[in-house]
Amino acid sequence: MANPTLEMLHGMLYSKGIHIGHPSGLARVVGAMTGGTMDVVPFGGAQIHDHAMTVARVPARLYYWNAELLVDTHLAVNRWYDFDMDTVLADAYNFEVEAMGGKMIYSDNAMPTVDVSHPLIKEPADLDKIGPLDVSKGRIPMAIEVGQLFIKKAPGPFAGGFFCSHWSLICQAMGYPMAVRVLKRDKGFATALFDWANERVLYPYMQALARAGVKNATGADAWACFPDLTPELVEEWVVPYALKLRQQCRKELKMTASAGGGACDYCEEDPAKFDKAMMFKCWDVALKTFPVKLALTAMGRNQDWDMTWLQDYALQRGKGGHKLPIMASLNGRFMRDSTPEQIIAKIAEWIEILGREGGLVTGIGNVPADTPPVNIHTAVKATRILGKYPIAADLSKIKIEPLTFQPFDEWLKGQPEEKTILKAREWKPEKKKVLA
Amino acid sequence: MSEKYAEISKAVVEGEDVQAAKLVEDALAEGLPPLDILNQGVVAGINKTGELWTANQYFLPDVILSADAFKAAMVPLEPRLKASQGDQLVRKFVIGVVQGDMHDLGKSLVCAMLASAGFEVIDLGIDVPKEKFIEAVKQYKPAILGLGAYMSTTMLEMKDVIAELKKQGLRDGLKVMVGGVPTSQEFADEVGADAWGKDAMLAMQKALELVGGKNG
Repeated sequence: MANPTLEMLHGMLYSKGIHIGHPSGLARVVGAMTGGTMDVVPFGGAQIHDHAMTVARVPARLYYWNAELLVDTHLAVNRWYDFDMDTVLADAYNFEVEAMGGKMIYSDNAMPTVDVSHPLIKEPADLDKIGPLDVSKGRIPMAIEVGQLFIKKAPGPFAGGFFCSHWSLICQAMGYPMAVRVLKRDKGFATALFDWANERVLYPYMQALARAGVKNATGADAWACFPDLTPELVEEWVVPYALKLRQQCRKELKMTASAGGGACDYCEEDPAKFDKAMMFKCWDVALKTFPVKLALTAMGRNQDWDMTWLQDYALQRGKGGHKLPIMASLNGRFMRDSTPEQIIAKIAEWIEILGREGGLVTGIGNVPADTPPVNIHTAVKATRILGKYPIAADLSKIKIEPLTFQPFDEWLKGQPEEKTILKAREWKPEKKKVLA
Repeated sequence: MSEKYAEISKAVVEGEDVQAAKLVEDALAEGLPPLDILNQGVVAGINKTGELWTANQYFLPDVILSADAFKAAMVPLEPRLKASQGDQLVRKFVIGVVQGDMHDLGKSLVCAMLASAGFEVIDLGIDVPKEKFIEAVKQYKPAILGLGAYMSTTMLEMKDVIAELKKQGLRDGLKVMVGGVPTSQEFADEVGADAWGKDAMLAMQKALELVGGKNG
């Protein structure tokens, strides 16, 4: 079909029971996110930049600086895994602070990272010295190009740009401990920081994205997840500024900017401390910061959760007798450390609890670089088999045979991204210095 | 006297760093024994913070402020403690974040908890190359080496550090702990570490277990 508007429409109709034709990945995701039942539970994909780089064997010092390579590598790896939805995301936390002169660490095998031991901001006076963001500096032009290429090569409602949301941006500029001290002890400085992030950094960035035709951008905000911030602090700081940016962008730039989403992520690591009421508070944040109403899990230790809590939440917060759609992402470390059998069992458990009546999208939170590809292929295949509607009465009776799959390099032959990826592999640091 | 220790403990729990340091200075000026100030005031405070964290009553921002107060309280106390310890055995813990990685938060919390448990902590900082870890092990002869990472790409450096320790004959008698967001027990097993610290409190408990349940 290759027309995202028609695919979305197809998904919405299919999910309401009008079964014409075979739904595309986009149609599946859109249909499920409207709360309906598709042909199968969609596998939405993942934040995968480190892993995609590793699978494609492209050098970090090129990959994180070259928009075409970053986008092509993502799209190729996403397709190799047969995800229903593309995600293209670089080291989203670094671009703004890097462009404003923050000290960075660059390495041969890993993404760039801000060196918060040399913070960009130490005191209120620093705010006057830095900014507004110059969108021609650092890798901001590359980030804008990533958004443009993503929209061009994989158009649809999920294609767009990325940015670092207010709180995480402040943490990147001054280090989390210092930022927390300010938040808890100096409301005036905290307000100045959030205002700086909104007016002098993010809004200029959104203007540049909008000018480039990137009318949809999502803000990463892992520093706002629980327990890095409490729901009370999130309500006081993260949500108001996320809404402010969203309204500014909608009104003045006619674009969608979704900041603060990470604040809904319940990331307590100790199963003994899992707290249903706290999870509900966290998930409530998503209802305020996300452009669509969803119950979701991302990077938390959800392999150990009681998923009936998430189902309870979706049922309680749904309206008109319908539960909220659920986007349930498997934990990245679980994906790396588990056997294929454990992954299949976990997906069966989740579909049994969350997916019988539709409205479920699965995925992976953040895929570690060295995750065995067989595990990800297994997760997708298991979701397609176990998640076939109508869901089988007894999922334990469905056997999934050990998986064989074509190695990435073999699969890559003849793919549109082949040339870009193979050319990148030939790159040597001494031939052309990219940065650092 | 116990009231003074309770005040110090409260200041640490509530993350009042300036107050905690002042109270310790006052206690020292009054002639209270440094070891009692440490155990009944400062450590009692950080332990209470740990309990509140475990009970879901404290969250990371609270722990950060409490660790700040702990560190502030230790500044006037440490020279007096060292003077009174003499030749008493204190186990050393060398810690650092592996090369290419800058995540300082978890390490800072672990350092505070280890110090509260009586370890002498040698903090190599962030972005630490393999060679620097090896050099530090040779120089300080620690009971435990702690390796941290927060990226799934950089955590692979831990394998290289442990391999180099073995290659240079430094692994026997040395315990190695790993930690950081992307790590797991499975990863710790895979790289041949002796323990995995899921969070700062558990890292301290594991470290104590590795040295036989007590320190000093």
